Amino acid sequence: MNIRTPQDWELPESAVTAESLYQLRPRRDFLRTLGIGLAGAALSSRHLLGATGGFPSLENPAYPASALKPTPYEFITSYNNFYEFGTDKADPKMYANRGWKSEPWTLELAGLVRAPAKFDVNDLIKQLGGIEQRVYRHRCVEAWSMVVPWDGFPLAKLVALADPKPEAKFLKFTTLLDRVSMPGQKDNIIEWPYVEGLRLDEANHELAFIATGIYGKAIPNQNGAPLRLVVPWKYGFKGIKSIVKIEFTAKAPRNTWNLMAPDEYGFYANVNPNVDHPRWSQASERVIGGKGFAGSRQRTLMFNGYEAQVAGLYKGLDLAKYY
Amino acid sequence: MPFLEKLLRVKWFVLAVIALPGLWPAWPLWQQNPSVLADPLKFILHHFGFWACVWLAVVLTFTPLRVLFPKSGLALALNRHRRLVGVSAFVYAALHFATHLVYEGGFAILASDIKKPFLLTGLIAFTILLVLAITSLHAAVRWLGGKRWKNLHRLAYVAAALAAYHQAAARKIFPVQVLLIFGPLVALELMRVVRLAGRQSASRPVAAPTRE
Repeated sequence: MNIRTPQDWELPESAVTAESLYQLRPRRDFLRTLGIGLAGAALSSRHLLGATGGFPSLENPAYPASALKPTPYEFITSYNNFYEFGTDKADPKMYANRGWKSEPWTLELAGLVRAPAKFDVNDLIKQLGGIEQRVYRHRCVEAWSMVVPWDGFPLAKLVALADPKPEAKFLKFTTLLDRVSMPGQKDNIIEWPYVEGLRLDEANHELAFIATGIYGKAIPNQNGAPLRLVVPWKYGFKGIKSIVKIEFTAKAPRNTWNLMAPDEYGFYANVNPNVDHPRWSQASERVIGGKGFAGSRQRTLMFNGYEAQVAGLYKGLDLAKYY
Repeated sequence: MPFLEKLLRVKWFVLAVIALPGLWPAWPLWQQNPSVLADPLKFILHHFGFWACVWLAVVLTFTPLRVLFPKSGLALALNRHRRLVGVSAFVYAALHFATHLVYEGGFAILASDIKKPFLLTGLIAFTILLVLAITSLHAAVRWLGGKRWKNLHRLAYVAAALAAYHQAAARKIFPVQVLLIFGPLVALELMRVVRLAGRQSASRPVAAPTRE
């Protein structure tokens, strides 16, 4: 029998945020954005339910949508870096929705763990006890930012499920490799598949999150369906999309962008306004969907505004050297 | 291609070809394309920069085309528009630079720009184009004199090299468009060099055989 002790931040089902309260955009805009027309009936059930394991998505009161101003859904889902589907910002939305399937999906937990396993995504979420909503800042290394209301689960829950051995110190994440259905992978612009890494203590931090949805809907393909890493205090490229494998390792894994240009992208990739990218400043950022035509620019915050929560992970670490 | 030659004599046609790309951003903005509206100024910024590079690369092919194909009427027709196309490259670069200032929130960004090779190269290329645009006026040509003017305007090649680097460094991954824009120019210049070297060796007296 599976007995679960509720976390102190978990709310009773009666406190579930009604979908109507989430209507920052009218629902028909969602459907139009997703390109749901005549084939909508078949698609919408997946988009409304998605990888929830049948659980309702509860807002985590520690990260309420009201605390930050979420970026409109259509921008979050139309302005993407997902080179597996092309390098232009508009490419992923176009090419990830031409028959590419994020269901059924299997996630493999492997490496230095006591419980290596393969999970169907929906079974996994059932086993983890459902999903929750959290709104996070999102800062791209290209100096733009969004605010995203994610749905998903803490990465720490997955780590606990894998039950790492004492020698496991790092996690290595891998994206799906499928040169046929992911057209971007036909060009060897980067080494495929995309890989990312975290320290085990970073992965166990309460903020580290696996997203399965956005705005209470299943995460769109272009945003990394069905499982996408979200590490809000790091640059967006750490947020590896469409994960098929998480391997626990003793040594630090290399990550794709670090392999590409080690002098420009490090392993940590912590958001840091004081350490510039060699080609551009990281002191400020453009706000996606900002005010008016000229948009707006804001100062970038240390650890993307999560300094109080995560600075302790990097005590004594030279952040200019370990960027 | 007499038809194209004739068309190239029509000034408003040439002007339209040059000006139309400047109006193009209006289309996706009017279409409310969310991928563009997410950060419309960035779209405009990249667009003007792209066309500044195109016109700069295009105008520099005119001279090698005339030298390599002296009998081609098309090469001659193109060379009549050297100044117009060159000044257009400057105008697009100026629009790009102005957008950069708005995008970054004012002139304060220049202090940070000069520290980054990516931005400094763009800034120098733009400065060169500014000087060349000013000295393209008849009065400036007279004032400088033909030879000095020609030497000064060879800086356009420096601007092109800097612009190519600047454009390549703007993206996380090397953008192939840089090769498409500047590749033909490099190929034509290489052909010119090869022909020049061939002519020089042909006119040189045959060297006496060396003894080993």
